[in-house]
Amino acid sequence: MTSSTAVARTGLDLRRHRLLVARARHAGAGILVALARAVAIFVPVFVFATFITFALRSLSGLSPARIQLGENATPEAIARVESQWGLDRPFLVQYGHWFGALLHGDLGTSWVNGADISTLIGLGLGVSLSVATLALVIGVTGGFALGTLAALRQGSWADRAVTGFVTIASVMPAFVVGIVLVTVFAVGLEWFPSAGYAPLRTGVGPWLAHITLPALALSLDVVADVARQLRTSLVAAYRENYVVGAIVRGLGRRRVFWRHALRNAIGPPLAVLGLKFPALVGASVVTEWIFGLQGFGRFANDSAQAGDVPAVQGVLVVSIVLVVTFNLLVNLVLARVTPASQRGV
Amino acid sequence: MLRRVLSLPSGRLAIGVLVLVAALAVLGPVLAPQDPLATSGTTLAGVSGSHWLGTDNLGRDVLSRLLAGSRVSVLGSVEVALVALVVGAVPGILSVYLGRTIEWLSLRLADTLVALPFLLFAVAVTALLGNGLTQAMVVTGVLVSPLFYRVSRAATLTVARSAYVESAVVAGASIGWVVRRHVWVKVLPPVAVALAQTVGTGFVIVSSLTFLGIGVQPPAPTWGGLLASDLGFLAYQPWAPLAPALLIMATVWACNVLADVVRDVSGEAGRALVAARGSRPPTHPSTPRTSGGVS
Repeated sequence: MTSSTAVARTGLDLRRHRLLVARARHAGAGILVALARAVAIFVPVFVFATFITFALRSLSGLSPARIQLGENATPEAIARVESQWGLDRPFLVQYGHWFGALLHGDLGTSWVNGADISTLIGLGLGVSLSVATLALVIGVTGGFALGTLAALRQGSWADRAVTGFVTIASVMPAFVVGIVLVTVFAVGLEWFPSAGYAPLRTGVGPWLAHITLPALALSLDVVADVARQLRTSLVAAYRENYVVGAIVRGLGRRRVFWRHALRNAIGPPLAVLGLKFPALVGASVVTEWIFGLQGFGRFANDSAQAGDVPAVQGVLVVSIVLVVTFNLLVNLVLARVTPASQRGV
Repeated sequence: MLRRVLSLPSGRLAIGVLVLVAALAVLGPVLAPQDPLATSGTTLAGVSGSHWLGTDNLGRDVLSRLLAGSRVSVLGSVEVALVALVVGAVPGILSVYLGRTIEWLSLRLADTLVALPFLLFAVAVTALLGNGLTQAMVVTGVLVSPLFYRVSRAATLTVARSAYVESAVVAGASIGWVVRRHVWVKVLPPVAVALAQTVGTGFVIVSSLTFLGIGVQPPAPTWGGLLASDLGFLAYQPWAPLAPALLIMATVWACNVLADVVRDVSGEAGRALVAARGSRPPTHPSTPRTSGGVS
């Protein structure tokens, strides 16, 4: 009797084990397929984007000779400097050379001071990534909290408050938010420093104090968009038959929320997050200017104003890599959470 | 369309705000009570009878600078929207008809433009190509054009696959006739929605660029430039950014409301826009816009 139950149990365990393995393999294959598909989409995007970036020099007509030799240089001297920089070669050869170096992480040297651009960007990237990451964290948690609140208390004062906040937040450009934050929290209340940056190694406290306001300025837009999307899709999900069915079957509110409603409603807000990321990177130009951060947006602005084309190209390439990587991640998460999103791409 | 927009209170309000802002752009420099570049003895003055909004750090009248600067912002955002409309909508419609190669290329190009952080690119390109606001607006228009591309492509696709267009083609209608007769009508409403949105986006971009001092020469007044100069004197005039910030926000808000109203009054076309923006009904969980789009 006991042995037969044991056998039955091991049989059951074995079957369950096999099922789990099969499911894991299936999920793994799903991720791999999603990865392959995403790479197939993003490789052309990356090549196109770098090509546009590289074409900027030809379009701008700027030359290192202007910067190094001044306005009244002889044509021979200009030609000599340009051939030093390899600018006398055919355009596609130059692009191939630049792209090859770029794949090795070499972004060339600055026209202004001859410094290695990868190093220069690396200096500012820590600042910008700190701010952007914190902004994303605030944006996702804030957006999810507000969106869920509004959807679950649909029609209540909380819902109306969230909708009002979303409306106002979506018409406030990052620099307006930044100025308001500086005015209130740095100049008025003196809770935060109004400018500058402290690296993480000086301690978590000062680091957070310096990046909180810029991250808040960047995140408001994300909070608003994620909240709006999540509210819409959650409200729609709760009207679906499978959610009604789950409630009728007597499943708990929490289980219905996490397993049925949220999981099916999470696609649009995640997709929005992927779309928002380029704007987040772009807005760093303005926020870093407001908060006196020597980040990578500031570097882009300064280099562009100085006419340092390779430096600008370097920043743009780094920003493209950031955006493409982030979207890859979003796609993979989407593929894991809502496998149906991978159909019909 | 305009009559239906005006039949809604929110539509009337949005149109009212936009007409007011447009009037500021046309008449602003004339209405300005003082020379926006003239300095007076009192710097950073508060609100008074002679200076309704006070003076800035050089003693220039803020109200006059605000009024004089409105033209740059309005012209710039309209330019962005028009460039984006032409660069986006025309290939969007044509991509359905011009064969698979062009379709693939234009889709990838649209994906690429979406992936570019447009403010960063706008700053870079404007500074490199010469410090003019028109160049900046053309570049920005190209960068935000994928919205129009997707919207018009989505609308064209639904029309091209409909039974009445297929029967028209079977009856011998040319592509040009189909586009003029059937596609155009379906593409127009979602494009109008996108246009209103893009004017709002353009406003934010113009303000951001002028805030950074890109695209305009220093003494010239702009809304963004006003905010930038206020930033240095927040300790003395914490309320100074209020007027330009509120103007920018009101205009962007009016554009967004107008977009919503146009979408509402043109029912089916609004759905095409929703589909094109990647937020489909939850029965078909959405795909991000960067991954192939509507195909």
